[in-house]
Amino acid sequence: MKLAQYVKFREEKFGGVLFETRSEKVFTLNPTATAVIREIANGDEATISSRLKDRFVDQGDAIEREVSAFLAELRQRGLIEG
Amino acid sequence: MTASAGAESEDLAAPLYVAWQITNECNLACLHCIEESGPGKAFADELDRDQTFAVLDQLLDSEVPYLSFSGGEPMLHPHFFAMVERACERGAQLKIETNAHYLDRTNAARLKELGVKAVQVSLDGASIATFGRMRVRGEFDRVLDGVRNLRDAGVPIEINFSPARFNLHEVDAVVDLAYELGAYSFYTGRTMYTGNAVKAWRHLEVSDEQYVAYFDALRAKTEQYRGKMRVYFHEAGLLEELRYRIQHPAALLIVLPNGLVKLINALPFICGDFRKDSLAEIWARFRSAWHDPRVAGFVDDLAVDPGRTRTLHQWVYL
Repeated sequence: MKLAQYVKFREEKFGGVLFETRSEKVFTLNPTATAVIREIANGDEATISSRLKDRFVDQGDAIEREVSAFLAELRQRGLIEG
Repeated sequence: MTASAGAESEDLAAPLYVAWQITNECNLACLHCIEESGPGKAFADELDRDQTFAVLDQLLDSEVPYLSFSGGEPMLHPHFFAMVERACERGAQLKIETNAHYLDRTNAARLKELGVKAVQVSLDGASIATFGRMRVRGEFDRVLDGVRNLRDAGVPIEINFSPARFNLHEVDAVVDLAYELGAYSFYTGRTMYTGNAVKAWRHLEVSDEQYVAYFDALRAKTEQYRGKMRVYFHEAGLLEELRYRIQHPAALLIVLPNGLVKLINALPFICGDFRKDSLAEIWARFRSAWHDPRVAGFVDDLAVDPGRTRTLHQWVYL
């Protein structure tokens, strides 16, 4: 899994931004979404959830569900591939 | 966990997009050129090599994700390919805005090899006569060859079209031509009354009624090419656009060939100078400058006198 070819990521004080440079669309990320993007290059969905559980308090399987939904959203918007 | 569309420049540590007019020199003398570029029109004080790369490195150090090099004709800049190489190797997405006259096979292949995101080419007619009327000194066939060289090299192509009363009738044909040439996008808007266009306005001016028909034709083309080529256009007038920008400034710096930084192309205000100021200083000033009453005042004046855009080259330092 990786960011799509024309997508750039930058961390900001509030979290981060994704910039799809072909459509010139910008997406603002909150801190947990930023943490997911940071981990995208490092592994699959399960690995990302596992790494986030080390850093954020989890209630049940909330992190897994949220990561899964968020990655699906990113895919649907064409921001990630693989 | 959210990804929300849009970002306010107030919240960002640096710009997201820098549009850099790297030289005012141009081989053409286009009837409508906003920058009044042309042969022999390079600014006397354009940045030298060291200054150019100092600016570029600041942008890259600050992780500005998206740059464009335009002009004038950017490929006439003496360090054009070195700049492209630096920007691409350090991970920026780079767009080149060119008249395509220097896109021979070698240069097109080099742009591909260096990894530019896209090359944007201006094509203001589907015939030699119409194209040549807008692009004074331009060679229509050479442009088509240049675009074909990009396509053959595998460089993503964007086609731009500037409307004038004498080329409106060819817009459908230009959209079709853009697709045949392998473009992935076609863009147009309204031609602005500034720069060279002020003197040529009687040849260029498009009436409101003509614009209505023009954008209707483009809507049909958008549908025709949906899923094959992105056809998009900016229908809003300048005043509407500027009023929106005052409330929501884009995280975009316009850098002039001498390092001065404009607030936005359609206003005369200068908010920084890369020869003296750091990117951080310019970015801070850019954000506060949008709140300067002179900016809102200029936009209000435009509502009364739309012709004030003729003064955009009389820079006002904020």
